[in-house]
Amino acid sequence: MKILKIPKKHLDLFVSVLPAFGELYAPVKRGSGYAFDRPAAWSDVQMAYPRTILPPRKFFLPPREATFRFDPKEGFTDLLVEAATPRVLFGVHAYDIYGLNILDRVFAQGKYADPYYIARRKHTAIIGIDFVPDDRHFASSMNADFVDTGFDLFLSDIGDHYLVLVGTSRGDDMAVMSGSLLEPPTEADFAEYKRRSSERRSASRTQVDLAALPEILEMEYHSQVWEELGQQCLSCGSCSMVCPTCYCFDVNDEVALGSRAGTRVRSWDSCLFKTHALVAGGENFRHSRASRIKFRFYHKQRGFVAEYGRPSCVGCGRCAASCPAGIDIVTVIQKIRGQADANGDRAVGTNAPGR
Amino acid sequence: MNPSNTVLIIDDDPDFVRAVGGLMAASGYQVETAAGGRDGLERAKALRPDLILLDIMMADRTEGFFTLEQLRDVPGLERTPVIVISSIYAAQPAFKVSPEAGWLPADLFLAKPVDPARLLAESSRLIAATAADQPSSPPGRSNGR
Repeated sequence: MKILKIPKKHLDLFVSVLPAFGELYAPVKRGSGYAFDRPAAWSDVQMAYPRTILPPRKFFLPPREATFRFDPKEGFTDLLVEAATPRVLFGVHAYDIYGLNILDRVFAQGKYADPYYIARRKHTAIIGIDFVPDDRHFASSMNADFVDTGFDLFLSDIGDHYLVLVGTSRGDDMAVMSGSLLEPPTEADFAEYKRRSSERRSASRTQVDLAALPEILEMEYHSQVWEELGQQCLSCGSCSMVCPTCYCFDVNDEVALGSRAGTRVRSWDSCLFKTHALVAGGENFRHSRASRIKFRFYHKQRGFVAEYGRPSCVGCGRCAASCPAGIDIVTVIQKIRGQADANGDRAVGTNAPGR
Repeated sequence: MNPSNTVLIIDDDPDFVRAVGGLMAASGYQVETAAGGRDGLERAKALRPDLILLDIMMADRTEGFFTLEQLRDVPGLERTPVIVISSIYAAQPAFKVSPEAGWLPADLFLAKPVDPARLLAESSRLIAATAADQPSSPPGRSNGR
């Protein structure tokens, strides 16, 4: 991997060149939070932000997406080409890049390979930056606070400079185009990177114990904790909306009134919604809120592990930050673990689920 | 050159604006000005000028680059001729990314201090080319944007 560095004072010049590779999106202030949006000026860009309201997923699985149009006279018109607008996402944290890598497992490979998602992924450059964990981040527990793939460039703060890790040939094109703004790093720079990266990992105040969690969840399937959560949960779905790896979607055909022409639209769904498990005929497999919130935790920390080998939670803390009922995944896991120990269930095995 | 062509000058240096504005007015242009990128964007949307002269180093030293991107996103302003007039290459010696390298969606880059005769000649040429809808579109981006 090619490694360069850029003086922090030149970062604005570097970012000015990036639109050559696509529409530039960067973290900007949005109300009391942050969001990826087009910056009107360099001073809009927030280099040190805890998390954005919505994750970068919104660029690859948009909240609403028209996939094709249909018309009795004209037939089907695929809208795939609109997914191919070149974009540059600047300032993406490692756990969000990790989240996109997880979504790739579902949408870019295997039996569910999705051409709309793939087109967006191909045409969107990712430039990562490192982050300082706050009390809601537990990405280090989820092994998602550092990432070695899924970015074109990754910027790591080493004082007066950023180390620039080049991840792809597109990233290399960006580095080459920036020319004299980038310099070769020194041994001292690498020493500083090592010092800061282990400092950052130990700075993470919130830890979650993942050891044997899937098995413990199996044991605690009928725990009272889920009933209590069901009482608290409002079923609003905010947790799903802000999650980097939630991907449930609904599909509807929107037909123009008085005609038989229309558009097929895919939109975000949430397993917290009452209708998520409602099927034709009226049967609802998860009628109670308790069953729905249990399902979400089980999918993240148990079901996804069985399917893909690691939890789909990346420890970003957005769900806890956005939940109007104050439900916090870290507390839930601790309760379940505490409950498991109180019931006398012994943890099976000593290895945490693999990455 | 149509005597009623409008030129919008976006630059935060009042001396430069007065000098260039005077030059353009004396050549028959209707001159409008804006002292910053955001203001310039709003005026461009409202005025739909025939030509824009855009500075780079304003409140932020890269402000004009961002303004240019936003101008090109406005429906109807994509083909408006834009001449970037800036001293950024002199002020920032580390910044050597050539404006002709295909990354800047302007029609032309001129370094300050700008030669008045050249500015007038290029302004006429670009306005005429746009009006005739000739393919003198902005030095295209190599990635096909």
